[in-house]
Amino acid sequence: MPTFRTHFSYEALLELRSSYTCSSVKTDSKFTQQELPACKPILTPKWVISVFVLVGVIFVPIGVASLRASQQVVEIVDRYDDACVPANVTDKLAYIQDKSIQKSCTRTLTVTKDMNQPIFVYYQLDNFYQNHRRYVKSRSDDQLRDKSKAAVTTNCDPEATLNGKPIVPCGLIAWSLFNDTYNLILNNDNLTVDKKDISWKSDREHKFGSDVFPQNFQQGPLIGGKTLNPNVSLSEQEDLIVWMRTAALPTFRKLYGRIHVDLKVNDTITVHLENNYNTYSFGGKKKLVLSTTTWLGGKNDFLGLAYLTVGGLCFFLAFAFTLLYLIKPRKSGDNNYLSWNRPPVGR
Amino acid sequence: MASERPLLVATTPGACNPDDAPSPHPPAASLLPPAQQEPPLRADPLAFSVEVPDPFRPSRRGDGPVDDPSASSQREREVGDNESRAVVVGEPSPEFAGNAIRTAKYSVLTFLPRNLFEQFRRLSYVYFLAITVLNQLPQVAVFGRGASVLPLAFVLFVTAVKDAYEDFRRHRSDRQENNRLASVLAPGTAGDFQPKRWKHIRVGDVVRVASNETLPADMVLLATSDPTGVAHVQTVNLDGETNLKTRYAKQETQVRFSQNGGVSGILHCERPNRNIYGFQANLDIDGKRVSLGPSNIVLRGCELKNTTWAIGVVVYAGKETKVMLNSSGAPSKRSRLETQLNRETVILSIMLIGMCTTASVLNGLWLLNHRGELEFTQFFREKDYTTGKNYNYYGVGMQIFITFLMAVIVYQVIIPISLYISMELVRLGQAYFMGADKDLYDESSRSKFQCRALNINEDLGQIRYVFSDKTGTLTENKMVFQCASIHGVDYSSGEDTGGYSVVVGDNLWTPKMAVKTDPQLVKVLRDSGKNEEAKLVLEFFLALAACNTIVPLVLETRDCNQKLIDYQGESPDEQALAYAAASYGIVLVERTSGYIVIDVLGDRQRFDILGLHEFDSDRKRMSVIVGCPDRTIKLYVKGADSSIFGITNKSSELDIVRATEAHLHKYSSLGLRTLVVGMRELSQSEFEEWQLAYENANTAVLGRGNLLRSVAANIECNIRILGATGIEDKLQDGVPEAIESLRQANIKVWILTGDKQETAISIGYSCKLLTNDMTQIVINNNSKESCQRSLVEALATTKKLTGLASEASRVTIALIVDGNSLVYILETELQEELFKLATECSVVLCCRVAPLQKAGIVALIKNRTDDMTLAIGDGANDVSMIQMADVGVGISGQEGRQAVMASDFSMGQFRFLVPLLLVHGHWNYQRMSYMILYNFYKNATFVLVLFWYVLYTAFTLTTAITEWSSLLYTVLYTSLPTIVVGILDKDLSKATLLAYPKLYGSGQRDEKYNVSLFVLNILEALWQSLVVFYLPYFAYRRSTIDMSSLGDLWALAPVVVVNMLLAMDIFRWNWIIHAFVWGTIAATTICLFVIDSIWILPGYGAIFHIMGTGLFWLLLLIIVVTAMVPHFVIKAFTEHFMPSDIQIAREMEKFKNVNQVNRSEIPMRGFS
Repeated sequence: MPTFRTHFSYEALLELRSSYTCSSVKTDSKFTQQELPACKPILTPKWVISVFVLVGVIFVPIGVASLRASQQVVEIVDRYDDACVPANVTDKLAYIQDKSIQKSCTRTLTVTKDMNQPIFVYYQLDNFYQNHRRYVKSRSDDQLRDKSKAAVTTNCDPEATLNGKPIVPCGLIAWSLFNDTYNLILNNDNLTVDKKDISWKSDREHKFGSDVFPQNFQQGPLIGGKTLNPNVSLSEQEDLIVWMRTAALPTFRKLYGRIHVDLKVNDTITVHLENNYNTYSFGGKKKLVLSTTTWLGGKNDFLGLAYLTVGGLCFFLAFAFTLLYLIKPRKSGDNNYLSWNRPPVGR
Repeated sequence: MASERPLLVATTPGACNPDDAPSPHPPAASLLPPAQQEPPLRADPLAFSVEVPDPFRPSRRGDGPVDDPSASSQREREVGDNESRAVVVGEPSPEFAGNAIRTAKYSVLTFLPRNLFEQFRRLSYVYFLAITVLNQLPQVAVFGRGASVLPLAFVLFVTAVKDAYEDFRRHRSDRQENNRLASVLAPGTAGDFQPKRWKHIRVGDVVRVASNETLPADMVLLATSDPTGVAHVQTVNLDGETNLKTRYAKQETQVRFSQNGGVSGILHCERPNRNIYGFQANLDIDGKRVSLGPSNIVLRGCELKNTTWAIGVVVYAGKETKVMLNSSGAPSKRSRLETQLNRETVILSIMLIGMCTTASVLNGLWLLNHRGELEFTQFFREKDYTTGKNYNYYGVGMQIFITFLMAVIVYQVIIPISLYISMELVRLGQAYFMGADKDLYDESSRSKFQCRALNINEDLGQIRYVFSDKTGTLTENKMVFQCASIHGVDYSSGEDTGGYSVVVGDNLWTPKMAVKTDPQLVKVLRDSGKNEEAKLVLEFFLALAACNTIVPLVLETRDCNQKLIDYQGESPDEQALAYAAASYGIVLVERTSGYIVIDVLGDRQRFDILGLHEFDSDRKRMSVIVGCPDRTIKLYVKGADSSIFGITNKSSELDIVRATEAHLHKYSSLGLRTLVVGMRELSQSEFEEWQLAYENANTAVLGRGNLLRSVAANIECNIRILGATGIEDKLQDGVPEAIESLRQANIKVWILTGDKQETAISIGYSCKLLTNDMTQIVINNNSKESCQRSLVEALATTKKLTGLASEASRVTIALIVDGNSLVYILETELQEELFKLATECSVVLCCRVAPLQKAGIVALIKNRTDDMTLAIGDGANDVSMIQMADVGVGISGQEGRQAVMASDFSMGQFRFLVPLLLVHGHWNYQRMSYMILYNFYKNATFVLVLFWYVLYTAFTLTTAITEWSSLLYTVLYTSLPTIVVGILDKDLSKATLLAYPKLYGSGQRDEKYNVSLFVLNILEALWQSLVVFYLPYFAYRRSTIDMSSLGDLWALAPVVVVNMLLAMDIFRWNWIIHAFVWGTIAATTICLFVIDSIWILPGYGAIFHIMGTGLFWLLLLIIVVTAMVPHFVIKAFTEHFMPSDIQIAREMEKFKNVNQVNRSEIPMRGFS
């Protein structure tokens, strides 16, 4: 076999190719002969039925457990955006934008079931697209973490600078910080809402600098939301930290605080709230939520139902396949079933 | 190859044979050396390479077959070559290209621009680039700049490094090549040769080359160490042929050199061209014009052998040398799967545009609905209040347009560009395993399987037609003389006599190969030297020994007194005949350009070769004019029976002719190749007349080929039939079994051969292509009308037979078509009829076909059906067919490497076709189909998940998944397992595939890749994307979930889902596949960890946070299970209730039926 030893491009290329395409025939290893030991799974009726039964057996209990967990959650939801605007106000937008008006409002909630502490206090916004493209990009993580990078406001427009000086924290997200406040009173006693530790620890420690303080914040022509105390470092501004974990979906809750008191059924809670946040411009809803949690989180029956459905479906499929296999059994590996061994018409 | 006879030192007969000093006055006519010539019955590579001058030029492939394979193009060439170059011998001329070569493409400076330019010639890279550029526009930017450039940069970088390395190798070899030394005659001196680097050699330089040295440029020989001007060269680097070729210096220059040590003259030669077998020039020397042909030129890259030195004048240098002109790439073919893939790409493009349009229109509607609110909406903030102008908002119309462009960037992944790279990698891996397969390794020739074209591996799994050459492909092309018919007497019993040796001085010279001899014939030859019969027998053997271009080489053996005669020649038939003559005692001992020496039964005689008419495929014969020791002048002819019987002496004995014809018929029905030998004694006047015409023709500048042909036609007449020979061409190992397997696999095997009808039919029988229960239809006509008539009749017959077939047992029909008829059928309206007829027949044999007709027949099928065609051959005459077929396979056998050079795959034996197609072809097709569909599916799943999210972001193309994960999804998260599976997974074992050739049908029927499978995959992607998106959506609705956390779930879940689907479809789990599938999921998780550990990204810490919740894990579990349920149900259902053949075979493999497989494997042992 003449080896093609030349110095010319095409052959050289071929040689190069063949040097790795056909290395050595001598090594008849299992690898080169593609005979590595291997497992060859085949879906036999036994396997199919076992898999369906197994999935069913695992899924139905999980579904029941999830559903129970969800049922245990006690949740009080109160929508207040409409109710907290005086009935005589026709232009809600003008009302909410008017800084001179005191926008206090009182709501009364009744506990429907015993609630064990900790009870989580959330605010819920509907139709607020925290995931809007313009919005979600408008932040500077450099600036939040590092004092020396205060001037890094590249993506923050249109809330990047004020009179040439950088805004800290810059960007639309920080600018639109939620600023309604809630004071909860239980049977005439002040109900303390613990606002510590409502944000992620990792955010406080690594993402928001303890030596970074707000500058020029919320001083532009349009106030978007809450102002920040310039003497408190960002890592301690937990409302901001929570807010800046932008929500994935347009209807979302954010943690406002926790109550470390058990609530009894029929307790009434009076909420004095400051209705400052403007959702009227786009028809967004605002809700106050008090909720307990379980190992699965808040109230949501969906997961349990999904598990039960899939588990049930698998049981049904196991049954259906068993039936099918009984009605039309086929010996596996029977070469009479090869197409050229089958009778030409019908089976 | 040279290592084959390491112990033997070859010497030229002339050099060691002082008694046979050349005659001082060689006859003038002997000056013209015999030129190359070719086996008589096979269409000859020389003539062929003139007709299709360039096997490498792709444009020829599309050309239709030529109806008349005569030398029309040759005529054109000769006329077209008016412009020539003039070279003054001994005067280096700067006006032509120098001898420095440059195969490297780039220099340090030009590398970057040129390499980038080359890379961007691929359409997919341009698409990539356009997307990247689009992303750089600030309004449209979806990804960060760095992130978006990265994948393209990565691909470009890897390719550039690969190119740079290859180019570096080329630079190095260029440098080595250019700096080699040659001894060059200093201009103006006589015999003063000085060393000079190759790169400084120029056209016109006179160069001296010693034995075993490589020739630095294309040179016309001026003189050699042999007094008659003979030089031997080995052209292995040029065309792979290892036998020695004889080249001649012209007597005029040879003599002049020995007198003056220098030559002056002007040489006019053709412009540089790629035809390595053609050359025409004239040398004006001493006012005389000497014509030069292909036998006077030696080419760059060849090595001088068995010649102490040779001196030549450089006519083509450097990049104008024939080898450099031939070093361009083979034409590239595209695989059928890749062509089909384009259709799906179009569908996906439409989907992409649809999604982009939906997103942008919805975005526009949303903006219209919220028109008045945008100013104070916190998350939109239409205005920049410090300036009072709109911020980044250009009105609804513009917004729609921008959204559309952004959508294109976000969803571009749905067209899997990385698929092309994956496919290349998979093919490389497949090629590695095909090359490494020991079943494709030929022990006898030590040749490996080679993938020469890396882009059509999967086509091997869909072949429906195999077009096979006969000689050298089905047969070994080792010719053995079997029988002779001399003067109407058949001598066909052979007996091993151990050969015949010649005594030369003290030495015993033995031909290298002994042929069985017929005792009766030996007796006739020995006993009665004087009777008429013995005289004819002697003439017969003299014709065999003289009428050829064989060069006898005398090889030393370990025994000093024993020498071997090795007949070197380009035609195996001629070698066989020369060995046969030698075994009967008529031994060709020596050849120079002017005469040959033949040992006639112990008596050494000199025969002057006065002229030689080369073999060509028109005349189908060759002749030589010999001046015999008894002063008579004889013409010996040998050739195909049809061609010789046409020129016989009309008055010759009819009974002898009839007897010979009967014998010929008998030989060819035994499967032997037949030749007829004839002679004619020339009178002095006839000879002189011929000599004049011959010399005129030889020195003609224009139309030399035609002139020579007419000279030959004039002299080749009135031939007396001496006899005929039968040469056996043995079948290769395992050919009948291989053909049977292919037939079972529903592959139609057509044999296209240059042999006679009877030979072709008998070979058909011996390789079990034809069987006795077949009905044979023969089309053999000499006019268009009769062809038409027989085609119509044949069609009617087949209709009748196949009509019956449905009821009774199947009648198989074999069609035998003759080359003569094909002349009238191909390229005319009769083609259609032939096509209809041929597709009805299960066997087609085409005999006496010319090379271009072979391509025409392939084109007949290829252009009219969607069926894949494969052509397999070994000789230069198969090149056009190999290039025409969808897949070309070259056998690296006896006939040089022309076929291999033009082929897509090359291997050592015909029977390897069975494992190649049935095993590797099947695997390759199955793997590649699955990989393509899977890639469409996995990218669609991901893109659809992105799309569903956009519906909840006010249609603003936000992605919850980080941009890094989006980019890594195709590159890292999901690509490696499919590549590994595409290389390693096997649906069935080799033994099963060989035992059940019908399993090959899945590729022929496009079972693994078709539109409905594509649609099924896209539906699967749709379902899975819905599951991946909506289960978390509903579970996390109205919760505190943040974008990064949910994005991580949406990134991880599809990766797990698509990898699980792959896992479900894998046939064979070995440790490598395990490692890659599970490793990829682990790697994805690690990547998510790493991305979420970067402080300055918004998602910092999210994955750790969400993985700490039980909800995440429960969701992941239910997503994976729910996503898989439909696939699992469909798979379980079809595999049990609608099992494919492959499924049944898999079950047979896995369960008990192993014995069954083994039993049927036994007859197939030939392959494994």
